[in-house]
Amino acid sequence: MKTKFNGILTLILALLVQFTFAQEKTISGTVSDESGPLPGVNVIVKGTSNGTQTDFDGNYTIKANTGDILVFSYVGMTTVEKAIGASNTINALLSSSNILEEVVIMGYGSQKKTELTGSTVQIKSDEIAQVPVASVDQVLQGKVAGLVFSGNSGTPGSTTDIRIRGISSITAGNEPLYVIDGVPMNNSNISATTSGSSLSALSSINSNNIESITVLKDASATAAYGARGANGVIVITTKTGKEGKTSFNFTSSYGFSNDATDGPDVLTGQERMELAYEAVYNTYGPIYNLANVEEAGEFYDMYLGEEYAAWREAGSPEADWDKRIKNNDAPVQEYNISATGGNEDSNFYAAFGYFKQEATVIGSEFERYTGNLNFNKNLTEKLKFSTLNSASYTYQDGLLEASSYFSSPRTVKYFMPPIEQPYNEDGTLNLNTTLPNPLWIAEEDIDDSKYTRIISNNSLEWETPIENLKFTTRANIDYIVYNYKRYRNPISGDGSSSNGYGWQAHNSNTTYVFQNSLDYTLQLNDSHKFDFKVLQEYQTNRDYYLEADADNFSDVGLTNLNTAGNPTTANSTYYDWHVASYMGTIHYAGFDSKYILDATYRREGNSRFGSDNRWGNFWSVGAAWNMHKENFLQNADFLTNLKLRASYGKTGNANISLNRYQSLLNFDADYAGEGASYPGTFGNKDLTWETSNTLDLGIDFGLFDNRISGSLAYFNRKSKDLLLDVPLSQTTGIPDSNGSIYQTKNIGEMENKGFEMEINFDIVRSEDFNLSLGGNLATNKNEVTKLAKDLNGEEINITTSTRRVESGHPVYGWYMPTWAGVDPDTGNETWYIDGKGSETTSNFNEANQVWQGESALPKLTAGLNLHVDFKGFFVDANAYYSGGNKVYEDWARYTNGTDVYSVVYYQGVDALLDRWQQPGDEGTRYGKFEYTGRPWMSHSKFLYDGDYIRLKNVTFGYDFNNEMMDTIGLDGLRVFVRGTNLYTWVKDDNLKYDPEVDATGFTSLTTPPVKSIIFGINVKF
Amino acid sequence: MKKINNLYKIVFALIFLVILNACTTDDLDPALKQNKDSETGIVSVDNLYALIKGAYSRMTNSEYYGRDYIVTNEVRTDNCFSNGNSGRFTTQAGFTYSANTGYIWDNCYSVISSANLIINTDLNSLEGDLDEGNHIKGQAYAIRALAHFDLLKTYGQQHVGGNLGVPYITQFLSSTSSEEELYRSRNTIEEVKNFILSDLGTAYDLMSVSSNKEFFSKYAAKALESRVALYFEMWGEAKAAAEIVINSGKYSIIPKDNYISSWESNQNVNSIFELAFSATDNQGINGLAYIYRTDNGVGSYGDVSALPNVATLYEEGDVRADILGYDTNRRGNTYLVNIGKYPDNQGYDNIPLIRYEEVILNYAEALFETGGDALTQLNLITSNRGATAYTSVTKDDILNERRKELIFEGFRFDDLVRTGKDIEKIELEQNFLNTIPYGDYRLAWPIPQSEMDANSNMEQNTGY
Repeated sequence: MKTKFNGILTLILALLVQFTFAQEKTISGTVSDESGPLPGVNVIVKGTSNGTQTDFDGNYTIKANTGDILVFSYVGMTTVEKAIGASNTINALLSSSNILEEVVIMGYGSQKKTELTGSTVQIKSDEIAQVPVASVDQVLQGKVAGLVFSGNSGTPGSTTDIRIRGISSITAGNEPLYVIDGVPMNNSNISATTSGSSLSALSSINSNNIESITVLKDASATAAYGARGANGVIVITTKTGKEGKTSFNFTSSYGFSNDATDGPDVLTGQERMELAYEAVYNTYGPIYNLANVEEAGEFYDMYLGEEYAAWREAGSPEADWDKRIKNNDAPVQEYNISATGGNEDSNFYAAFGYFKQEATVIGSEFERYTGNLNFNKNLTEKLKFSTLNSASYTYQDGLLEASSYFSSPRTVKYFMPPIEQPYNEDGTLNLNTTLPNPLWIAEEDIDDSKYTRIISNNSLEWETPIENLKFTTRANIDYIVYNYKRYRNPISGDGSSSNGYGWQAHNSNTTYVFQNSLDYTLQLNDSHKFDFKVLQEYQTNRDYYLEADADNFSDVGLTNLNTAGNPTTANSTYYDWHVASYMGTIHYAGFDSKYILDATYRREGNSRFGSDNRWGNFWSVGAAWNMHKENFLQNADFLTNLKLRASYGKTGNANISLNRYQSLLNFDADYAGEGASYPGTFGNKDLTWETSNTLDLGIDFGLFDNRISGSLAYFNRKSKDLLLDVPLSQTTGIPDSNGSIYQTKNIGEMENKGFEMEINFDIVRSEDFNLSLGGNLATNKNEVTKLAKDLNGEEINITTSTRRVESGHPVYGWYMPTWAGVDPDTGNETWYIDGKGSETTSNFNEANQVWQGESALPKLTAGLNLHVDFKGFFVDANAYYSGGNKVYEDWARYTNGTDVYSVVYYQGVDALLDRWQQPGDEGTRYGKFEYTGRPWMSHSKFLYDGDYIRLKNVTFGYDFNNEMMDTIGLDGLRVFVRGTNLYTWVKDDNLKYDPEVDATGFTSLTTPPVKSIIFGINVKF
Repeated sequence: MKKINNLYKIVFALIFLVILNACTTDDLDPALKQNKDSETGIVSVDNLYALIKGAYSRMTNSEYYGRDYIVTNEVRTDNCFSNGNSGRFTTQAGFTYSANTGYIWDNCYSVISSANLIINTDLNSLEGDLDEGNHIKGQAYAIRALAHFDLLKTYGQQHVGGNLGVPYITQFLSSTSSEEELYRSRNTIEEVKNFILSDLGTAYDLMSVSSNKEFFSKYAAKALESRVALYFEMWGEAKAAAEIVINSGKYSIIPKDNYISSWESNQNVNSIFELAFSATDNQGINGLAYIYRTDNGVGSYGDVSALPNVATLYEEGDVRADILGYDTNRRGNTYLVNIGKYPDNQGYDNIPLIRYEEVILNYAEALFETGGDALTQLNLITSNRGATAYTSVTKDDILNERRKELIFEGFRFDDLVRTGKDIEKIELEQNFLNTIPYGDYRLAWPIPQSEMDANSNMEQNTGY
């Protein structure tokens, strides 16, 4: 299949490149710098030894072919490449290489780094490519100060929670806006199921086709997307064609992955049995005169359950469920081939990629095919056409992994009694386990997502007859087709009670974006330059969903709904949303970019709000001062770059579900065989934008020829009119589809503030040996400052058994009774009645919930990067630290219960062995085992420090040098081996689950991140 | 001059740009393809009919009559316990619930919201048959009374020494409601009781006699009134209400031979009001059947088993003993369980809410308390069940017969507490360790924490 695709691709490439062949001709021209003609410049035809130098007047002549590239190089100047087209004259302008004119792509446009007034981080393709990941956002972890990254699962293709500079909203979305090639895109979870694996829409994007990712953080940087930029913007730019002969780039990698962390160890069957008997002894010993644990065991075997006696009879086999469900050394492989080329008038970039990753758990994998064709053509001298097209097909064989579903293979270790065996004595699968046997489920049940995405981005750029006025129009279509299939076999597991169960869902989602913009540059004289931009944008999204489910399947092995006897649901929905915007920006650069001013205004209307409140106005102003260009610092030779910048602005957030402003009747109910309706949305006609005012102050610096470079920033983001689902008295009686009763209102205020630092040291910089060390660090302090009040003026808080939202505290701060240890005399667990230091009680219901001082959001995050290269060998490493937060161990009632949950019904962790056994036992982590079932009791014993350090990547590789390449006829060859998540350090010894938990802060029974070793090769020819 | 010329061109280009794709506020209206605006969506009696079905549909929710309300009132008694097979109902059965344990508070009020939307609609503004409109309105009153009654029995302080009931909501609450309406405090028990009886009276007056038992009807409202009156020891009212139902002649006790099979069919002669469930509309794994048995380990939850003493409840020949059976879960443990009531494991069976047998038992008890002939009524039950007839009657006989007849249907807890009995610890399996004395704070559920957070006018029950 793959080979065939490659063949087709090569054919297309051949068609595209044939017009580049031409005859040899003589080229001449002049090379100059800012001060005039430049003698002694080397001019070579790229990839050959054919070269010459400019004469005293900067002139040269050389023989070359159309399609060749001329390389102009001169010491201290940046090298310039020019492609040879129809013209026989090629002039070149070289500029001093000391000025780092790095250009940062901002989405709607780009900006020289020196002229930026906001906080941005740009990640280039060489850091993105060659990282075999299912979803491209994974490359951001540890690279961007202030970006908190947490994967929801190690299942390939899963979604990620990304938080930029904290959390701005309590109940509306906190996800950043994604912009791909200048167009705002939808990149949420597209999976139809909430019980199975998530699937990120981003997983359709092949990271090898990405030129750069820019993270926009402050109001000035995000202002162009003001209305939806409050949570930051992630700008993804895909690769476009490069002039010159067609060159090919082939990368291939293959590797193996395993779980990065193992999770807590669990009780062996023997330990579990002993604890069960001990529980019986502690509870019934006095009543039934059981003298010791042995007698309690006999009592248990006789009156309470026969399973342990039977297990001993069978020779006490230990099941080791944990090992059974692992897919050890799960292969991951990726192949990409791309081609690029072109001439003065047109260029192209074409690519095909294949990626496949098996999950580290049985029965789950991910596969992706991607194809890209980007093509630019100058229709006339003034009219440029550009089309960027990508198509992808993604297949995710997922699993049940949210919550603690009994048939999930990730749950089995923590829930299945270890005295039950995976296999029968005859080697067949044991289907009489108390929970479904995951080995059977992985074989027979289906949780498949199939996802096709086509993005076509087409633009025309017209240089109008008015000098410096450019008109651009763009149309983008993003078409997603998603298909989900679930099947539960009738023999064993979730489908057994209904003789099989099937569910299929189909979703087609289309987003259209139309943009028109005008750019005008006004150069008043040498000292003042103004760039104006006005833009108009319209975006509309249409979502059509169809699903059906059925049970009672006719035959085993037939899984389509056609073979089901009893159709149970047929459902279809249509929703749409629209956004219209007008935007204007002014960028001023004065006196050789010494002084920079930015102003942006955006007006946006959103269909999520009622017609009177639909439009919001957003703006920002920014200023930067390139101090190193001032005369008074001319003599400070050590100073390469020193910029002060400040910005302030208002951004918005409308990330709520659709139609919340309307009071609606729903019709999706039925009763007695007929349709029914009910009041479904409380509504709020006044609903409008949530806004954030962000102040950003920063210093960018470069010292000693940029050997030391970096930036410092302070930000303060005040969010107000939060789109808050304010809990209503439940007597109002209009629950949403999850059963929550609230009204979405614009109320409440929240603040996020912190410092960010990025620094890079080029310790050694030479031809053959380079060593650099870089890092970033960010702090964030989040505080809710205002909430809704009820008619008595009392604040309406949101309280769960573990978390609370109240002003003066971090949002969703941990709030639960504080554990006070085990009473050495009685073995009872105790809690402080009103938090640490107060009286203790052994009655959990008497213990009040108190603030635990932290939330799930890290207060400090950091990244560290190391690069070394020596004569072609190179090492890249980066690590990520996150901390200052707490995480809560979910499912502790079951896995950490000192009762029947852990030793009779389900399974317990081996930490339980540290329990109270007799009066005088001090300092045990767990109280006495009792033969009872305790209710949910959330308290601080299971709240852990969330600090961890993870060695994200270590790459070791070799670039073959040019001489060797010439002899074998290649342009470049690189081999590398890459290790991912090789090492994880966790601060809290009690936190055994993977510390990288989702944004809510609860550990989960999902696949942990993967630890992998990948071998790769990259060939350019 | 050239500059001005350019300026014109710029302006022209700008105008062109804006016109090309200009959007007005109206262009941003979202499509409404699955919903209707609630202010303009009710124009006919048919719309009311859809809304009343919506109210019934909300009653079938698994947190209410679909499972939890029935099971919670069984596992807290001498009938049932939770064996913890899937970890469900151990909290309820152990009386260890807290303000964060979900229950019927929100479900009942959502049923009430649906009912109020109907009740607050002016029939004269609607198209369609006015009599039909009145019948629907009457059902809404009955549903509103039932939901408030269930709330009162669960959260009211009548058995814990207080006098607070629950807020009685008579207005459909929306974004145009006043703050006073939105932040309600608790009515007293007495007020709630009077509201319930008043609503049931209105319901009886408005409704017509209907043979469709999947909807409330005239005599269902009276039958419910006899239950309410009995709960409040209003014996005269209970007796009168029961008599009206009996004298209607529309219902009869299910005969002995049909007793077991009647649970497999819908709208039987003894049914006065039942909730409709079907192959396409059921609570599935969150339904009643799924929690009452594991189907011998095939896969359902099966947490709620009968206590061993239930096996000795019935004498030889009593057909009701066939409701019981044994079920072995995959752990190899065998429990006495309910196999006869709600027999379809997928939850396809209707759930009876008011049976004629209950009315007879209500009547017998009311007669007993008012010095009437309870014996004849009580023996109407035994004679149809293959049980020995009573020769004399005590209050305990009546309660015991109620237990035998209505077991697993969610009556037992109320029958114990309304007669002032303790919840006795009689067997090892019961999930609580010691007898819960009458008056213990745990006999009233806590108001949910989310309600307490949202509404400072709400007062929590003592002990939580």
